[in-house]
Amino acid sequence: MDFQLDQQHEMARSLFREFAEKEVKPHAIDVDETEEFPRETVAKMQKYGFMGIPVPKEYGGQGCDPLTYVMCVEELAKVCGTTAVIVSAHTSLCCDPILTYGTEEQKQKYLVPLAKGEKLGAFGLTEPMAGTDAQGVQTKAVLTEDGKEWVLNGSKCFITNGKEADVYIIFAYTDVVEDKKGRKQKKFSAFIVEKDTPGFTFGTKENKMGIRGSSTYELIFQDCHIPAENLLGTRGKGFAIAMHTLDGGRIGIAAQALGIAEGALDRTVEYVKERKQFGRAIGAFQNTQFQLANMATQCEAAKLLVYQAADAKKTKDYYGIEAAKAKLFAAEVAMDVTTKAVQLHGGYGYIREYEVERMMRDAKITEIYEGTSEVQRMVISGALLK
Amino acid sequence: MPRENIEQYKGVFIFAQQVDNELSGIALELLGKAKDLANDLDEKKVTAVLLGENVGSLVDTLAEYGADRVIVVDDPALKDYRTEPYTHALASVINEFKPEILLVGATAIGRDLGPRVSSRVHTGLTADCTQLDIGDFPLNAVEGQEQKHKQLLMTRPAFGGNTIATIACPDFRPQMATVRPGVMQKITPVKGAKAEVVEFNPGFEENDCYTKILEIVKAVSEVEDIQEAKILVSGGRGVGSAENFKILDDLAKALHGTVSCSRAVVDSGWKPKDLQVGQTGKTVRPKVYFAIGISGAIQHVAGMEESDLIIAINKDENAPIFDVADYGVVGDLNKIVPALTKKIEEALAAKG
Repeated sequence: MDFQLDQQHEMARSLFREFAEKEVKPHAIDVDETEEFPRETVAKMQKYGFMGIPVPKEYGGQGCDPLTYVMCVEELAKVCGTTAVIVSAHTSLCCDPILTYGTEEQKQKYLVPLAKGEKLGAFGLTEPMAGTDAQGVQTKAVLTEDGKEWVLNGSKCFITNGKEADVYIIFAYTDVVEDKKGRKQKKFSAFIVEKDTPGFTFGTKENKMGIRGSSTYELIFQDCHIPAENLLGTRGKGFAIAMHTLDGGRIGIAAQALGIAEGALDRTVEYVKERKQFGRAIGAFQNTQFQLANMATQCEAAKLLVYQAADAKKTKDYYGIEAAKAKLFAAEVAMDVTTKAVQLHGGYGYIREYEVERMMRDAKITEIYEGTSEVQRMVISGALLK
Repeated sequence: MPRENIEQYKGVFIFAQQVDNELSGIALELLGKAKDLANDLDEKKVTAVLLGENVGSLVDTLAEYGADRVIVVDDPALKDYRTEPYTHALASVINEFKPEILLVGATAIGRDLGPRVSSRVHTGLTADCTQLDIGDFPLNAVEGQEQKHKQLLMTRPAFGGNTIATIACPDFRPQMATVRPGVMQKITPVKGAKAEVVEFNPGFEENDCYTKILEIVKAVSEVEDIQEAKILVSGGRGVGSAENFKILDDLAKALHGTVSCSRAVVDSGWKPKDLQVGQTGKTVRPKVYFAIGISGAIQHVAGMEESDLIIAINKDENAPIFDVADYGVVGDLNKIVPALTKKIEEALAAKG
């Protein structure tokens, strides 16, 4: 047991914090207002190596541990939820499955430019009929007769980094088998699909409540041909790949939720020291003090869960339960802390300039994406009742 | 107070609606039904009541479609439909001729006229009937209650079509019903058939109760509101382009329907948002809904699953739209839709 960060992690954190304060915070209001993807900021992060933190050096990454990556997402989220999720989706949902399941050729061709920051990644699993019930995927992939290409047909929705990303991990069903009871079951496979492949286009851009600068798009596949060698992992094992990838992604979202909560707390502490009513700073009132005490305690508890999950990813083969607990708790803390932050700001909290209302809007999505809070509870209780 | 001597009331009457001296289709449909009812009652005669000005030329048509007798009230006061003089005329006919049954079409005119008349002659009226039978009332004998035979059993959907009510009017005459157009069948016209014509004058006095008609406007309805349309031809992403919606326009035109679409089409900029069906668009309940090139995600289906009849055309046999469709065609909509349009046009042309 060691609750102290070592020097290396401390240095990394201060680097991330400096970047967030200098490069991200000044644009956060604007990114939310205009709903524009922060391309310039992303270009800077790509240049500084933020897009491949946990990827080994031989594949173009920084070779750091999951905790360093988690701290990066956390520090970005303190000032801008949008920027944090761009890094998280790219790293956890696109780089990680290629690193885990890809062939050497796939790693050289796709992972290296992704980790180096030359390309941006995304992950396409969700469909209109398949959200929490991921088995409902309707997108279909068929191998051509000569076995050289897969043909994809279908669509995906709510894809983070959609249209901005160059490389997509896409799940489609490739086989239908009968189980012992004669019921038909779809077998899924994972594919690497490049932007600009003929037959692959973008549909609706979603107008969201929060993380408004994050580019959330519908992906459309109409007779989209991709090379046979772009199958990721084993044919028919796609569902397991998706689930394992999401275990890691949940640590990233937990880090984002943690950062949003901490950012809202930091601002609120500053505000209650300055704001005066009844001749005193409102921080002098006991209600304010107790609320802040609760918020700080919640943040700390969430942080320990998130960091523990990051450590489990480093040391364990299966870290799904730690990831689920971290995401569940951190997301609900983020929602609670940001709501209270708005309240402690009073009327000003409801004004966009004061930024805590944005954090409250951004917090809500952390309870929903990469598995809703209810899914996390299913995962956790499933393990308890095994 | 039940009416005395309801036995005096005999015969099946229909109100023969005419507008601009043209018989409305419902008048002929009612005649067809009235003949069936008359047979079940061992009444051999069906009477049409024709109100208007200079409408004598319509008598023969009524005869060909099954009227044995036509009571004509011909008066300038009846030139255009107005509530008061028409009510006066029809109520006077009832008081004079004492029909057992009187059917009125559930058109805009009939829905206005029927209740006025029934209240004036103090009898019951069932609105918007879809089925009429002769039978016993109560339907199932109740101990200690007299069962009346040969009543008109009037069946109509109630509560927005969620329940079906069968209603009888045992103690008052005539038994009145307004009947939904398009439900009853016309008979094949008997060429050269003649009917007994009875001229009747109830006496009109213009008075303040009479509506003054300032202007009658004949609107050519461009059905823009997809929620009002009876037939919707709805296209999805599978249609492929804004230009290609022409084949849906043609089908809609052949069916006198309206084109609607899915969200994907609106997002692609092919159609305006007003035409979008679904959770974030409009909820529609047409008689017929064509889902063409629409995969059928719940976000769309939620807006149209209440349609009476759903016909899906999609190249993917696993598309979820087929789970809600009554009829489905798996194939290329670019071939199927024009072929379908052609068939429908031919069938309609053959029907005249």
